[in-house]
Amino acid sequence: MTEIVTPGERLALSAEYDAGTGTCVKDTFICATLVGIKRVLPAGQAEAEQRPRVEVVRSGVEPVVPRAGDTVTARVVRINPRLAAVDILCVGPKPVQQRYSGVIRVQDVRATEIDKVKIEASFRPGDVVRAEVLSLGDARSYHLTTAQNQLGVVYARSAAGVPMVPLSWQEMQCPTTKAVENRKVAKLDA
Amino acid sequence: MAGQREAQSVPWFADERPAEVIADGVRLDGRSLEEFRNVFLKTGVISQASGSAYAEFGHTKVMVGVYGPRQSERRVEYSEQGRINVDVKLASFATRQRGIFGQSPEERELSAGVQAALEAAADLASFPKASADVYVLVLEAGGGELGVAATAAALALADAGIELFDIVVACSVSRVDGCLLLDPSTDESFREQGGLVLALLPTSNEVTQLVSRGRWSGSQLREGLELAMGGCAQLESAARQCLKDAVVAAAAKQRQQQQQAQA
Repeated sequence: MTEIVTPGERLALSAEYDAGTGTCVKDTFICATLVGIKRVLPAGQAEAEQRPRVEVVRSGVEPVVPRAGDTVTARVVRINPRLAAVDILCVGPKPVQQRYSGVIRVQDVRATEIDKVKIEASFRPGDVVRAEVLSLGDARSYHLTTAQNQLGVVYARSAAGVPMVPLSWQEMQCPTTKAVENRKVAKLDA
Repeated sequence: MAGQREAQSVPWFADERPAEVIADGVRLDGRSLEEFRNVFLKTGVISQASGSAYAEFGHTKVMVGVYGPRQSERRVEYSEQGRINVDVKLASFATRQRGIFGQSPEERELSAGVQAALEAAADLASFPKASADVYVLVLEAGGGELGVAATAAALALADAGIELFDIVVACSVSRVDGCLLLDPSTDESFREQGGLVLALLPTSNEVTQLVSRGRWSGSQLREGLELAMGGCAQLESAARQCLKDAVVAAAAKQRQQQQQAQA
């Protein structure tokens, strides 16, 4: 029996249940914040999950907004010596429906020798990168970082327009012309 | 030019407004004093929008589209919380007089009114820096536009998947010759000595917006508010049912599509 709930409806007592996604706690009640189906998940094994959890699952498209700590996939739009401007394409596995701008500053490109970083040798316009959201940034763009091994360029085309093959964490090679170009390459699990 | 301006304000409806709106406790359209007009609510009517709703309260017809949460415009400054921007437009054919070019003062007031009614209901912390743009189009202004627009906009926000602490329901009350009329039409509110619009979050009865016009004595205002709160309670069940019906319909459509794909 699926129970459909609407925002504001009281789902359970906050003393007996934990609030999951799509819910909020108001006084002593857990109330729904979305239109969807109410689900009760049994208590987990971990210390923090002693109580069963109530959540509301929404059918249809959920609006996706980048938050601090999320891993995002973005395309580089513009570079200058201080930063690389990107368009965020997906947050985790979910594509975004609206345009979100992000920025990878020169000090956030990699973890070591950050004062010697050259943006030109790390990203080029058109590259697809995997990055992590550092913070909400300013009014115009999110601040992103690629300063981890698994973050960086995942897809890039060479000057000849051919998708390149990664050689190391700093280099990619064009399979047709054999030219080597510099990028901050992501180390993806095989 | 002056001549052109006058030509633009030729009224659509040349009839005079009726002088008497109540006779023996029965209103012009046959309703009792505390009866709503025929209410029709539906969500998911604009496919390109993140969420949408259409509401008809008798002759008042309102269509709402919600786009977002999406990146705020560049010139807007940074905010830890999300923003709701409301833009109400009265279609040029919606009122007795043809509408002027650009946004009229009435539209600005309606936009501010609907925004105030909605802001307390949405969980703005769930979409920081982004904004949800709410576009309201009034197709026919038959009375009580602010209330109908606020209710429809709340349904559209819920349809868009924006987290809300509660839905918003709103209704209007007019006082004509000492009688309190619930959900007045334009003819009735034209003859009013006082009117009010109440928007609230029904589960906790928290008022998000209260607009009062004209003269009210203390006891009249109390009675008027009680009538409006009762009206909102009636609307609440219709609004929640509308949202639930949309979920059922979407699930049925998805099942049908899956069956067709398998066949």
